Amino acid sequence: MAGSFLPDNPSAWTYRSWGELMAIPREQREALQLEAVRISFRRLRDRIPALKKLADRQGVDTIDRIEDILPVCFDHRVLKNYPIQIIENRDFARLTGWLDKLTAHDLSRVDLAGLTTIEQWLGRLEAFGMLVTYSSGTTGKLSFVPRSYDELGPWKFHFFNVNQASSGVDAWTTKLPTFFPGYRGGYQTMLKMMSLFNVEMAGGAEHYHTLYDTHIPADLMALSGRLQAAEDKGEIASLGLDPALLEQRRQMLAQARSRDGDLEVWFARMIERYRGQRVKIGGTFSDMYRVARAGLDKGLRCEFAPGSIIEGGGGMKGYKDAPDDWEDQIKLFFGIDRMGNQYGFSECIGNAPLCKAGYFHLPPYSVPLLMGPDGEALPREGVQTGRLVLVDVIPLSYWGGFTSGDEVTIHWDGKCDCGWDSPRVAKSIRRFAENEGGDDKITCAGSQQAYNEFMAFVQGDA
Amino acid sequence: MVAVVDIPIIARGRVIMPGDDAVEFKGRGGAAFRQADPHQHIHDLVLGDTARMRDLHDTPMAEIIELLAELGKRLSLDDNPLMQESFALALKAGGLAEPILRGVYDALPQMFSAAGMTALVDRTIGLDYIDGWVPSGGEFATVAIRAIGTRQLHITAGNVPVVAAMTIARAGLTKSDILIKSPSNDPLTANAIARTLIEIAPDHPLTKHIAVAYWKGGDEFMDGQIVRTSRIDKITAWGGMSSVRHIQKFLTPGIDLTALNPKYSMSMVGRETFASDAAMEECAIGLATLAGFYNQTACANTRIVYVESATDEDSIERVVDLGRRMLRAYALIPPLLSVPFTQRNRELEAEMEAIALEDDFYHVEGDTLTGGFIVSKFNDRVEFFDKLNNRVVNFVPVDSLADVLKWCDDTTQTVGLYPESRRRGLRDAFALAGVQRLVSLEGGDPMTVYGNSHHMPPGSPHDGIEPMRRSVRWVVDMQPARQAAELGVAAE
Repeated sequence: MAGSFLPDNPSAWTYRSWGELMAIPREQREALQLEAVRISFRRLRDRIPALKKLADRQGVDTIDRIEDILPVCFDHRVLKNYPIQIIENRDFARLTGWLDKLTAHDLSRVDLAGLTTIEQWLGRLEAFGMLVTYSSGTTGKLSFVPRSYDELGPWKFHFFNVNQASSGVDAWTTKLPTFFPGYRGGYQTMLKMMSLFNVEMAGGAEHYHTLYDTHIPADLMALSGRLQAAEDKGEIASLGLDPALLEQRRQMLAQARSRDGDLEVWFARMIERYRGQRVKIGGTFSDMYRVARAGLDKGLRCEFAPGSIIEGGGGMKGYKDAPDDWEDQIKLFFGIDRMGNQYGFSECIGNAPLCKAGYFHLPPYSVPLLMGPDGEALPREGVQTGRLVLVDVIPLSYWGGFTSGDEVTIHWDGKCDCGWDSPRVAKSIRRFAENEGGDDKITCAGSQQAYNEFMAFVQGDA
Repeated sequence: MVAVVDIPIIARGRVIMPGDDAVEFKGRGGAAFRQADPHQHIHDLVLGDTARMRDLHDTPMAEIIELLAELGKRLSLDDNPLMQESFALALKAGGLAEPILRGVYDALPQMFSAAGMTALVDRTIGLDYIDGWVPSGGEFATVAIRAIGTRQLHITAGNVPVVAAMTIARAGLTKSDILIKSPSNDPLTANAIARTLIEIAPDHPLTKHIAVAYWKGGDEFMDGQIVRTSRIDKITAWGGMSSVRHIQKFLTPGIDLTALNPKYSMSMVGRETFASDAAMEECAIGLATLAGFYNQTACANTRIVYVESATDEDSIERVVDLGRRMLRAYALIPPLLSVPFTQRNRELEAEMEAIALEDDFYHVEGDTLTGGFIVSKFNDRVEFFDKLNNRVVNFVPVDSLADVLKWCDDTTQTVGLYPESRRRGLRDAFALAGVQRLVSLEGGDPMTVYGNSHHMPPGSPHDGIEPMRRSVRWVVDMQPARQAAELGVAAE
């Protein structure tokens, strides 16, 4: 018997078990999703200024069919459509004014007195009731997700749920000491989720181990490009940055240089200390592979207790020329069979765990659509490939419709071999822009960035 | 169903069609090609024995120019099926609209004019130096210098077919042996020109020193085989990174790399422009021309316009007015130079739509079909400036044109200027900053503006360097000075 779900309160869906969520019959799920999208859009259309502007421009007032939502989903760029100059000038009034258009909260009431860094600004927003996190792309420009405490509960329930779905471990009851070969603290989305959820899942801060106890300040991330350019010209001083921040940058650069060595030493310590215990290893697969390869080369193997898990992400991004059997090598070195994987983006609460059959399953509160090359909605049936659009129906304080930069293939029909019933995303995910052009299209019209890559190549750095 | 186009490897006068060992590759817009496996033809592509260059070395330049001029005449679209095929493919790739592309192809024969090529060699290398040993005068009469042809790899750019024609012409004009690595988005043009040459002079030394093939960028086997000091002296790499990235591994001292890397171009507009309606109009036509010619696919196209203007509402409104005039002026450009697009640029439109929601910071007008513009309401360009295309331009207000220097570097190729009265005050500072060409927005009609910005003597610098001069080896022959003294006595 299928469970009962109200479209008015998708947050409550996250309290149900993953099994229940994956057992909603398609017809019921799609009707529920359409109604939930309708309600969410109706509630937020005139409350979120940026959404109102977009909906007015597109002339969208009501949602009759699910495809009607497509023109009013924010392109992922909307979360970073402020001029980089206001970050460089640390113009917090304008930055706050910009963010204010993305949230139902009245940010004009936030006290901005005395702020000198973006880290402080994010802290001030948190004290006000926001839970704004950021992510940064290759350009370094920060994209801010305008989340708030209104979403914290369902965010947490979903997170525990999705981790159980991908790892088989119920983190509400089973606490596993965790190693994460990265930074700690701050507002970068993954790091904020660590302090909000992962530490508790590990059984407390003393059981959550990171490579470094610090994090890269948002300010340094945001200004990385600008700082590099200024340094090249010998003009760092003219940026007027806090000397402490520049010192931090120096340390970060030094840390980055010694990272591979630090990583090996740190992992060796963790492996020794937790021998025979059940553990969880998190991080990017490229880091795990790096450690595994170094260990295997020395003839080493880990000896953790059965039931240990690996929860990774990021594919092999950042590791050149990975062998085809990298997954097996990781499993062999760590002595762990269960390798969990998830797919999602920071704009959307409901990310998708990888099932045993090798597909990412979206929860019912993340409503997927696929967009074709001309911006048209692709049919929600069969197997389709296009740009992924997700409408997150959980948020109450911001609009959850987002057009991603990812090209994915979705299998819409039938139950998956794993037994879960939901639209499923194949593992072949790629950045949309990579598709344009031929195998190696060459053009002479270029950009600074292409140039920098070019020089790195000429100098032998690439 | 996309038809697979068979393309041959051109191997020094031989045409090798794909057979059982053929490999397939994809081009832009889903086109598919078949070519013989280049792995099996390394020795058809490279020249290990420099003695084999003697035939070209001994051929007088006048004879080479005569043959190239003859080749030029055969490149007409009307009666050359190979060029027609290349044209059809370039058209399908969608980079340039038909009237523009036709204009580009129609102009190819002119690149091979005998007078132009003679001047080109003479100005960059010197006819005497390419054909013989030139004694230095006076007390150095025993020292002779000659320009010697080299073995060159050209990794060509495909966005304008001119590159293929220019590369083949320059090969002959420097008496060099060349291997052209075709780009996947234009694998046919160099091929078509080389095959035409084979048709008219199958045994000529020039023909025997041209090879053309495609292999995938990053094919380590190919790069490792080809990029060796025993096989290549010079590499010219055009454009983007992807297909030359891996060659770097094989670069060693002894191989000279000329990197004609990606370039960016812009315009600068002084505050004088806003003084009269006539000046606004003239400037707008200049901008439309420099942004619009070749439908903004070239490195020399303006993509950003820095305008001397304040950022208050009234000032911004004047900049918007200039932008609207530029949009209207697009319609004045003859179709030979610029036409509306038939397909939207979704990526760019997504960027434009994303910032259009932010009217505190940006004013956005137009689209990627007829063209458009974005006015920044503060002193900085949009962050997606490297995606500006489809005749979409970013206007950026600055307090003073001198402020623009901070955005200039070695990647800044062409800068359009208005009005002319500002040139003297800006020229040297911009040259020091890295800018390679300063052109004018004045003229008042598109053909005049276009003509002024393209009227250069043969052999002018390209991207700040002189590629022809750099692609030969300058060899010094020094006889003993004693002999010179004797000669001197004998002459008395």
